[in-house]
Amino acid sequence: MSLERTEEFDRGDWLEDKELSRVERGYLLTLMWLDKRLRLVDYLELLEDAYYKTNLQMPKSHTEQYNLDNKFWYWYPLYSLGSLSIIAYVLLAISGALLGFYYSPSATSAAGADATIAYNQIVFIQTDLNFGFMLRSIHRWAAQFMVAAVFLHMIRVYFTGAYKEPRELNWILGVVLILLTLLFGYSGYVLPWNQLAFWAAQIGLEMALSVPLIGEWAAQLLFGGFSPGAPTLMRMYILHVFVLPFVVTSLIAIHVGIVWMQGIAEPH
Amino acid sequence: MNENTNTNDDRTAAETAEEAELRTDGGEASETSRSSSELRTDGGEPSDERGPSSELRTDGGAITPADDDSPSFRERKERTDGLSRLTYEYFERSRREDQVLRDDSDYVERDVLGFPAWPHEMIRNLSITSFFVGVILFVSATMPPPLEAPANPTSTPAVILPDWYLYWSFGILKTQALNLELAVLGGQTIATDRTFAVLLHGPIIVMLFLVPFLNKGSARRPVEQPFWSAVGVFGVILSFTLSLLAIKNLMAARIPIWTSHMQLWLSFVLPFIGATIAYAVLKSMREGYMYDLNRRYYRLRPPR
Ligand code: HEM
Repeated sequence: MSLERTEEFDRGDWLEDKELSRVERGYLLTLMWLDKRLRLVDYLELLEDAYYKTNLQMPKSHTEQYNLDNKFWYWYPLYSLGSLSIIAYVLLAISGALLGFYYSPSATSAAGADATIAYNQIVFIQTDLNFGFMLRSIHRWAAQFMVAAVFLHMIRVYFTGAYKEPRELNWILGVVLILLTLLFGYSGYVLPWNQLAFWAAQIGLEMALSVPLIGEWAAQLLFGGFSPGAPTLMRMYILHVFVLPFVVTSLIAIHVGIVWMQGIAEPH
Repeated sequence: MNENTNTNDDRTAAETAEEAELRTDGGEASETSRSSSELRTDGGEPSDERGPSSELRTDGGAITPADDDSPSFRERKERTDGLSRLTYEYFERSRREDQVLRDDSDYVERDVLGFPAWPHEMIRNLSITSFFVGVILFVSATMPPPLEAPANPTSTPAVILPDWYLYWSFGILKTQALNLELAVLGGQTIATDRTFAVLLHGPIIVMLFLVPFLNKGSARRPVEQPFWSAVGVFGVILSFTLSLLAIKNLMAARIPIWTSHMQLWLSFVLPFIGATIAYAVLKSMREGYMYDLNRRYYRLRPPR
């Protein structure tokens, strides 16, 4: 019995038959060499398996199915407005958390100063803090973009009839979400406690007060009194950094979870 | 390989080997499906029992039938009783019903409820969102927010405005004139102007909640439902005109011959005009242009 190992499969003959170029031959030999040591084939097989499993289970997209590609591709970006809201929300969470290190929701004035602590902290962030100017700018702009994206998202859902039969629940959730998003924006607008913020709070308060029956109660609850002041700022702050983040994040998770389960409505 | 060479001896070994290699991907099935019908619209899995005779698949295909070998819910939960048992029996039953429906379904409407969020949607979304983040950062770097004057309860500024996305609400606050007109009808105001305006938010929000319950049916595209699209256009334009109402003082100051009475009037007339135009356009498109465009689409789902 020879100690010389025999090739189990006659690869030599096979390589002869193929009439490969030198590059191809070199590649194949390297592959064989590596495969012998690292079992590359096994991994390729795993990949191929995964690939076909994914693709076989997937129905074709609407446009593929009905040959509409040439007509409808330009609507595609509108279907990403929901995702844009989410990404803006994530940006807001990050920049907001960083701003939170330096902001302080106090509508009292430090001794000798004529502006409130809250306002002074905003000035500090904008003028002294490294990168603070950009941070506030990002938070501001991401908020504008998020609200815009949510509005447009709602419009696209409306005009593609995507709120119909199995998706009514998601539409209702969406209306709640857009209202909460607006409240998010409003409560954030009040936080710098500048002129506009103060008078926006004043108008909000008056609106709450003029609701029949529950008006005064609502004003107390949301604004902490009948005229804007330190309690108003505190309540807006808690709303903005504690209550709403939890509520909105979970609602978004449910909203997207439902989309995940139901799939995106046709047509594209 | 040997078998192949025996049966097709006129071919060279290399050819057969190549063929055998080619077939490892889909096996026999992919070949039959390729030849049976060019209109196959499913994912390619040969799950079509009706064969080439059924001309169009509309269910997205490849809905995996329930595996008959897997234990039924009742088997799994034999020992439970009461409500949970009832639930499981219902599950089992509805699963069976679904299967029956799927088996002898010949309806072509709304078989496809949706397309997978992953990866169909998300791949595109991820690329667009990364661009979007870039835009946000760019805009933040170039247009930072100003520092306003600090709050001063003793001096009311000339212009009080919320952020733009609340203009519509602020605009509603400036509709007192409507309240007066109602007052003419009824002889006395139902509510103070401000209360009236705040309450006006109610119907708008309620309308939003009710949309899915008012508009039912399978129509999806604007051309399929001209009326509801016109309602949508009405809403969009109204949100703009209401927002402009919020800054009517500014507009009156800037534009000559502009009066706030005129603006209030326009705020409610423009949406009607827009809606009428949208309705007319969509209605006429529905018959001609869109029908030709997607004849196949409509064969599956005729407009109502
Ligand atoms: C914070 C705000 C919101 C977020 C983050 C959000 C997120 C999303 C995402 C990611 C999707 C997947 C499809 C797409 O991107 O178009 C979606 C779908 C949907 N959204 Fe929203 N959304 C928000 C607000 C709203 C609003 C205001 C409405 C309507 C009133 C709404 C109603 C719907 C419906 C009905 C769907 C299903 C559409 C379909 O299946 O084609 N959402 N949402």
